[in-house]
Formats: sequence, structure tokens, C-alpha cells
Amino acid sequence: MLIRSPKSWEIPTSAVTSASLYHDRPRRDFLRTLGLGLAGAALLRPSALLAATAGFPAKGNPLYPGSALKPTPEEYVTGYNNFYEFGTDKGDPKELANQGWKTDPWTIELAGLVRSPAKFDVNELVKKIGGIEERVYRHRCVEAWSMVIPWDGFALAKLVALADPKPEAKFLKLTSFNDPKSSIGQRDHNLNYPYVEGLRLDEATNELAFLATGVYGKPLPNQNGAPIRLVTPWKYGFKGIKSIVRIEFTATQPTNTWNIMAPSEYGFYANVNPTVDHPRWSQASERIIGGGIFSGRQATLMFNGYDKQVAGLYKGLDLAKNY
Amino acid sequence: MAFFEKLLRSKIFVWTLLVLPGLWPLWPIFVVPDPSVGADPLKFILHHFGFVACVLLAVVLTFTPLRVLWPKSKLAQALNRHRRLVGVGAFAYALLHLIAYLLGNGLSTLVHDAYVVPKPFILAGLTAFTILLVLAITSLHALVRWIGGRRWKNLHRLAYLAAALAAYHQIYARKLFPVQVLWIFGPLALLEIARIVRQRANAAARPKAAAAG
Ligand code: HEM
Repeated sequence: MLIRSPKSWEIPTSAVTSASLYHDRPRRDFLRTLGLGLAGAALLRPSALLAATAGFPAKGNPLYPGSALKPTPEEYVTGYNNFYEFGTDKGDPKELANQGWKTDPWTIELAGLVRSPAKFDVNELVKKIGGIEERVYRHRCVEAWSMVIPWDGFALAKLVALADPKPEAKFLKLTSFNDPKSSIGQRDHNLNYPYVEGLRLDEATNELAFLATGVYGKPLPNQNGAPIRLVTPWKYGFKGIKSIVRIEFTATQPTNTWNIMAPSEYGFYANVNPTVDHPRWSQASERIIGGGIFSGRQATLMFNGYDKQVAGLYKGLDLAKNY
Repeated sequence: MAFFEKLLRSKIFVWTLLVLPGLWPLWPIFVVPDPSVGADPLKFILHHFGFVACVLLAVVLTFTPLRVLWPKSKLAQALNRHRRLVGVGAFAYALLHLIAYLLGNGLSTLVHDAYVVPKPFILAGLTAFTILLVLAITSLHALVRWIGGRRWKNLHRLAYLAAALAAYHQIYARKLFPVQVLWIFGPLALLEIARIVRQRANAAARPKAAAAG
């Protein structure tokens, strides 16, 4: 009844919409922001220019085009955020992550069981990787809501190749920043900090796994996890660790933050799965962000609709147990 | 003080206090649009109405202990004129909360979460709602008389169970413990403890007198 079939939004909108909605305009905005910055106004709005600026504007990756999905309005992507470091209400991060928290310069470290451990400035890393591309991905939060987001960044597989893992390396442990002075959530200890996430090595090298440095054609705003964050569109949003400072390659499975907080509710895998309920709500359907009051719900797709790319990773794994 | 007391006795004033919170969502949705609300306005409405229902339920339950603890206080007396109105207000917001839920999730989700794969959090909400529904219906004057004073009173003690279930439901609606639960239900808990202590002391002093309700 109120559950809508996903087809209504999967049908390509017109090419015109796709080009104007999230390609041209954001880029113009970005150039304008840049102009403002050069004019010296950057000091007034510290967040406007910080974060990783290298590589913009990015070319769209034709495998993940915007024409196939209708992107969520930008104001919601950057104004409705779960980033507990900066408050637990959805509107908090936009405000509290932009009160002097510095995301530029930013160093990210590759460590652990790799042949090429290294530390990089994020902008240098982007150049070393060979630039960024745009991909439009679905985003499904464990709280049963969803967005469609045009990310800018690069395949995590490229970073893995750069690190050159040793044969013993089986997992990636990703760690976010730890700076209680800037982070009200870390001062309040609302979660175990720093935030940690993990991936199996074969998940990390899957073509979908993505490190984003931008959204909507612009460097990531602080509240979206500037300057570099993980995007794994077949998993619930909390896997997408924000503001990464360290990626360590390990032999054993790392324990991720939400799994520590509530092991019966949040597992290591966190694959989007409409057939495995959260203990407190159904995961069979989701609310569409930006859909308004009467939008109802749409059916949630297995692996968030990316089963072609990732189903092979989980052959023989009991997904009800390994949630 | 006299002015304040007069104000508190006024039905229109209390009605206004009850209706205004229901209009609040119009502000961040239409008047000064807030993207964190506009992203999913129905969710905001759902949370807001649930919140108001909890506040009203906790508030109305403080009226009796306030009167027991301060029997001579004109304010406590004024508040106790409105027990029925505020109680029914709590039910009305719970009903709006349920309507918002059904609008956004559909009956199928409720059946799934209450019956197919039962979620304690949803069952607690449903039970609390059912209690409030029964109490609201039995607050009709004719029914009160028909049921009879003592039985009516016993029935309406279920309001405490509803409050406990609502507090549980509110806590488990969130991923992390919501501190506002302490602000909403903390004062009620303290007043109830004080009332029980007071009634024990009164009963000890006048062994034959019936316990005040
Ligand atoms: C009729 C059955 C009920 C259903 C199906 C229901 C359902 C829900 C749902 C789905 C949520 C939100 C969970 C989320 O954010 O994902 C919620 C939250 C809440 N509900 Fe209910 N509820 C019911 C009854 C009640 C009653 C009777 C009260 C209070 C007297 C209440 C108070 C609340 C409160 C305070 C919240 C939390 C709002 C917040 O986190 O800000 N609910 N309820």
C-alpha cells in the first residue's frame, strides 16, 4: 500500500535534469567559493574552503551515472547528518562541525601489514592516486532512511594497491580523528572514540568501495566527513567512517565502534539486507529523504541494489548471523 | 501569585498550552525551513508528537502528588482541576503520533513490527497507547459515574504503567540514551517517592484514617 516499488525513481530522469542538477551548478558554486576565498573572505567562513580541494572538478564515472538515480537535494545531504562527534541530532553536525574544527591540512596514514607504509597529505594523496571521479550512489542508513548522493573521490582499491599489503593482511582497520577540543561528542563520550570501522580486504578492493573527498562536485563539507571518508554503498551508512586519519592493514578482524556500543544491533558486516530486521525496527523498507510528508516508503533492496557487484563476496556466509 | 493562580484555573489558558505544541512543527517546516527537519518532515512530526505526549503524561501525573504534598497550595488545587483535560491531551498527542507513524510506515509495518517480528519497543508503545485510549474513553462523565469512583480510580492507576512504558519506548526509540527522558520523568519519580513517604508518615500518625489517593 504505502510501500512503493523502487522503479519509480530508478527510471532515468531526463538527461537535462542530470546535467543541470548536480554537474554544472555545483561546479559553478565551487568556482564561486574559490573566488570568494581568493578575495580573502575565506577567513569569514572557515569551512568554505578547507578540506581536500585537489582534483576538482571531477569527471563522472559512466558506470555510476546520475541519470539512473535521482539525487537527493544537496541541502539535505549536507544538512541531515549522523556524525556523533558533532552531536546526535541530524541538524547538529552542520552547525557544530563548523566552529573552528580544521580539516586542512590533513594527514592520512597507511600502516600495518603493508610493504609501503606511508603518511600523506590528503591533497598529495589525491594527486598520487591520479585524481578523482564522480559516482552517484544510493545511501541507506541503518535507521531505515535513504538518499542518493553524488560523491567525488577515488576507488579504495587504488589506495590498497598503493599500500601494497603483505600476504598476511586480511582486513583494513580505519580510524577517524580524535580531537576532543573540537568535538563535543568526544568530550561527552557519547560513543567510544576515536570512531573505528573495518572491512575485509576483498571488500575493500571491490570496485564499489570508495574514498570520497567531495560531494556535489565540491570538497566535502566538514559535516559530511571532511576531508576524506569511506563510502560503501551496499552497507549501512555507519560503515562509512568519516574524517579518516589512519588505515591499518591487519590479520584479524577489527572491532568497529557501533559493534562495541551495541553488539546485538550492529555487526561487523552491516550489509543492507531487507530480510534481517534491526532488533527495534524493520529493514524491509525505507523512507526517502527529501520526499516530503506523503512520500511513504520504498522497498529496500538486497545489498542496497548492488548485489551484482558484491553478492559474490558473501557466498556461504549466514547473513542473518553475520549482520 | 493570585494572577498566576487565576490564570492556571482558566480552562482557556490550559487549552492554549495544550494546543500550541501541536502547531510547533509548522515553524521548522514552513516558517523558517530547517533542512534537518525538511529532509524527513514526517519523522520530525512523529518524534515531536511522541515527545509532547510523554511530557503531558508525566505532567498530569505530577498533579496528585503535588496536591498530597502541598494540600493547602492554591496552585496545586488549580492544577488538579485540569487532570482530565491534560490527560486527554496526552492521549490526543499519542493518537497524532500513531497517525504520523501510520502515514509514514503503513499498517503493514506496524503488523510486522508488533506481530510478525515483534519489537519490544513497538509493543511498549502500543500498550501505552491502548492504556491511554481506555483511560480517555472512561473519562467521559457518564462513564465515570457508571463505573463508580473506586473502580474508576483503580483503573486509572494504569496511567503509571503507561508512563513507565512510554519512558521505555522513548529511550529505545534512540540509538543512544536520550537525556531528555530524565528531565521529563525525573521530577515525576521524585514527587512520587516524596508522596509515598508523606502518605506513610500520615498513615502512621492517623492509623485509622483511609490513605489519601
Ligand atoms: C501506538 C503505538 C506507537 C507506535 C507504533 C509508536 C512508534 C514510534 C516510532 C516508530 C518511533 C520513532 C523511532 C525512530 O525514530 O525510528 C517512536 C518514537 C517515540 N514515541 Fe512512539 N509509538 C507509539 C506510542 C507512543 C506513545 C503512547 C507515546 C507516549 C505517550 C510515544 C512516545 C514516543 C516518543 C517520546 C518517541 C521518541 C521521539 C524522539 O526520539 O525524539 N509513542 N514511536
